[in-house]
Amino acid sequence: MSATTIDPYASSTAPAGRFLYRLNPLAKLGAPLPAMILLAFTRDPVTPALFIALAVVVILVGASLTRTVTLLLFVALPLIVAIMSFSFGLWTDPSRVDRSVLLFQVGDYRFFLGALLVGLATALRLAALLVLACIGGLTSTGPEFVRAMIQQLHVPYRIGYTALAAYRFVPRFGHELEVIRSAHRVRGMAEGRGPIAAVRRAAGTVVPLLAGAIRHAERVALAMDSRAFGAHPQRTERTRTPFRTRDWCFMVAFWLVSAALLWWSLAAGPGPVARN
Amino acid sequence: MDPVPPTHPATVVRRVRIRHDEREEWTPDDVSFQVAPGEVVLLLGPSGSGKSTLALALNGLVPHAVPVEFEGAVITGGLDTATSTVAQLSEHVAMVFQDPDAQIVTGTVLDEVCFGPENLLLPVEEVLSRAERALRQVGLWERRTENPDRLSGGGRQRLAIACALAMGSDLLVLDEPTANLDPAGIEEVYAALRSLVSGPGDAGKRHAILLVEHNLDAAIDLVDRVVVLDRDGRLAFDGPTREVLLGHLDELLAMGVWLPVATLAALRLRSAGVTLPDLPLTPAELTAALDATALPTPPTAPVAPITAERSVAVRVDRLGVDRGRGRRRTPILHEVSLEVAAGDFLAVIGTNGAGKTTLLQAIAGVVRPPRGRIDVGGIDPGRSEVRTIAAHIGFVFQNPEHQFIAHTVHEELAHGLRIRGVDDTGIERRVDDLLGRFGLESARDVHPFLLSGGQKRRLSVGSALIAGAPVLALDEPTFGQDRARANELLDLLAGLNAQGTTVLVVTHDLQLVADHASHVAVMAGGRLLAHDTTAAVLGDDELLRRAGLRPPPLAQAMRSLANHPDWRHVSRLDDLPGASTR
Repeated sequence: MSATTIDPYASSTAPAGRFLYRLNPLAKLGAPLPAMILLAFTRDPVTPALFIALAVVVILVGASLTRTVTLLLFVALPLIVAIMSFSFGLWTDPSRVDRSVLLFQVGDYRFFLGALLVGLATALRLAALLVLACIGGLTSTGPEFVRAMIQQLHVPYRIGYTALAAYRFVPRFGHELEVIRSAHRVRGMAEGRGPIAAVRRAAGTVVPLLAGAIRHAERVALAMDSRAFGAHPQRTERTRTPFRTRDWCFMVAFWLVSAALLWWSLAAGPGPVARN
Repeated sequence: MDPVPPTHPATVVRRVRIRHDEREEWTPDDVSFQVAPGEVVLLLGPSGSGKSTLALALNGLVPHAVPVEFEGAVITGGLDTATSTVAQLSEHVAMVFQDPDAQIVTGTVLDEVCFGPENLLLPVEEVLSRAERALRQVGLWERRTENPDRLSGGGRQRLAIACALAMGSDLLVLDEPTANLDPAGIEEVYAALRSLVSGPGDAGKRHAILLVEHNLDAAIDLVDRVVVLDRDGRLAFDGPTREVLLGHLDELLAMGVWLPVATLAALRLRSAGVTLPDLPLTPAELTAALDATALPTPPTAPVAPITAERSVAVRVDRLGVDRGRGRRRTPILHEVSLEVAAGDFLAVIGTNGAGKTTLLQAIAGVVRPPRGRIDVGGIDPGRSEVRTIAAHIGFVFQNPEHQFIAHTVHEELAHGLRIRGVDDTGIERRVDDLLGRFGLESARDVHPFLLSGGQKRRLSVGSALIAGAPVLALDEPTFGQDRARANELLDLLAGLNAQGTTVLVVTHDLQLVADHASHVAVMAGGRLLAHDTTAAVLGDDELLRRAGLRPPPLAQAMRSLANHPDWRHVSRLDDLPGASTR
């Protein structure tokens, strides 16, 4: 099991100074939720861009970022947005966009600035959803989230903790798949290149992987049962995850700012790019 | 938790019969015994006798969570398991299973130990005080904030023991707790159990322990009583350790139950006319008994057969292997050079992470080695096609299921020939021959996954050899297996080796090495520390210590002899005078 896989259990060794770590995970999920839903209905590039800015500010102020995350947010994400804008632009029906500025032409195909803007709007929308989700995602751990779900939303703990236990399977299966693949390669299974050989190779690994997975899941279930998992309708929560006034404050403030941004971009913004 | 020992038996098993839904036979069959408070009981029996099933019956997983037919009664902590839930029983009996990975649910050592008491809905202070006490008992309190994945195998199994202790139960059931561990891990686990049992005053008598274990050399000094099931799952013997093991030697041997190496050695000496007053169970007892007895002239130190011109089967020249890319790149092997002569039985030993498996995988081309570093029978696995490599060296993975690729046993064997372009009549002839040699004729059309454990292992060896490879490489072939199955495989390998196949095997079991390997390569930290005859390596305490290993039990006993210095070099059972007892 490599140490490089994301550890859903890593205890939050977060610096206490940053406020996001002291909020209930549900507040960090609930705050951006209305904005995330409404963003799905916008068509312009400005609204998502505003929310990306808002989310980035909240994250920069409220969380301490590792170098990898910083690189992902400020280098990888803009790059992905650029690539997605261009490729979504290519898919856009040229007859339905603003055709005043021609960017380039290949044979009969003409790529307009309008198409690029439609692509940009879509790409920014996806990026905004991602960054908004990062507010909670970067600052809470799996167990914190499960505890909050159980304590505030009254999700049965059997479901929450089973899901967490199942998460432990992921790196194990990754490792097992690697071993099975090399075992099959050394047996000369479906040698050769091309998609057909690849599909045959993949199909061959399914049976041993599943056989191992089922056996492992059964063992884990027996081990959990023998430690009284599911004995009572509740279990002791050593860590309370209370929903405090500050959680309400954060959530309501975020909602108000979201509403203001939305109103401003609808009233003053350029409106949708596509001419429908 | 009340430190006063309970007065009723920890568990009472009364005429228990269990039949798995898909099976015909009842194992265990009509078994009765008791475990008294504070008693350590070892449950022995050949594989298939139902030991693990019986262990699961003690906390009600059988019949509540496993589909079985169940007759008789188990009363654990005063509760009838048939009418109590597994959760109720968990306060009276706690389990530790074989695979440490399959018992970990949470993300830190402390959370893991708290998991059970939290499920019992205990108050937070009680949860924490139990967790602290349990973690201190196994020596993991200082590491409570770490992710359990960071612990060694032995550490994770100690964590499983702490989790069991935190349940506050009077009875601990451990089912093959060390089968997946290396020697250092086995030692850690037994040190933890020993300190638990030998705690001061009444604390030591707090826990009764029922142990299912094949590694008797590690466990025997802990055990008060032995319960033996026979091949049919019936109760064969039940009594104090010495009485059962030494009083029924012949029956136990016939049953296929493994005995302590010290006992086997004494039996062998007895057949050569050296009679020890009391048969020993531990290496220390063997040493004492031998020192008190007159011994004949010692067996001559084994001399490697002088066959002047043996060809080289495998040559490794300054091999280095790295894993990962870029900044994560870490060297696994450094400058390893060795030559294996044709017909050798080479064991590669070392602690976890020493690079044993990587070396073996590079030799067999499982991980592509750098070019020009390895020569196997004239080919370079660094630049040969898979089908070419398969004709020169066969590789057997630790878990045979991983390498099965066909839907029948016959196809599984035929595959290796077909990719080499052998014609149909040739395939039929070779496959039939191999099915016969490996005792798989009746399983010809069975799906490989439906074979028994021993059959799977034989099939994996068969499919590695069918292309005619003169070299066979096996990665930890006895890991996680019981002794009977391990022995079956080793007899098979010994037979192949006698017929000229060069065998390379990575293993943790040093007594296995002592008894079967002609040569040993010792790895530590990615480097080859030594490559010599088995006797020379196992006779070098300093070398073994540098590699983080300990001499196997027989060598330990012989090394400590005070009165017979000329016997100290003996480390193999087969080097003792007398007839084999296996």
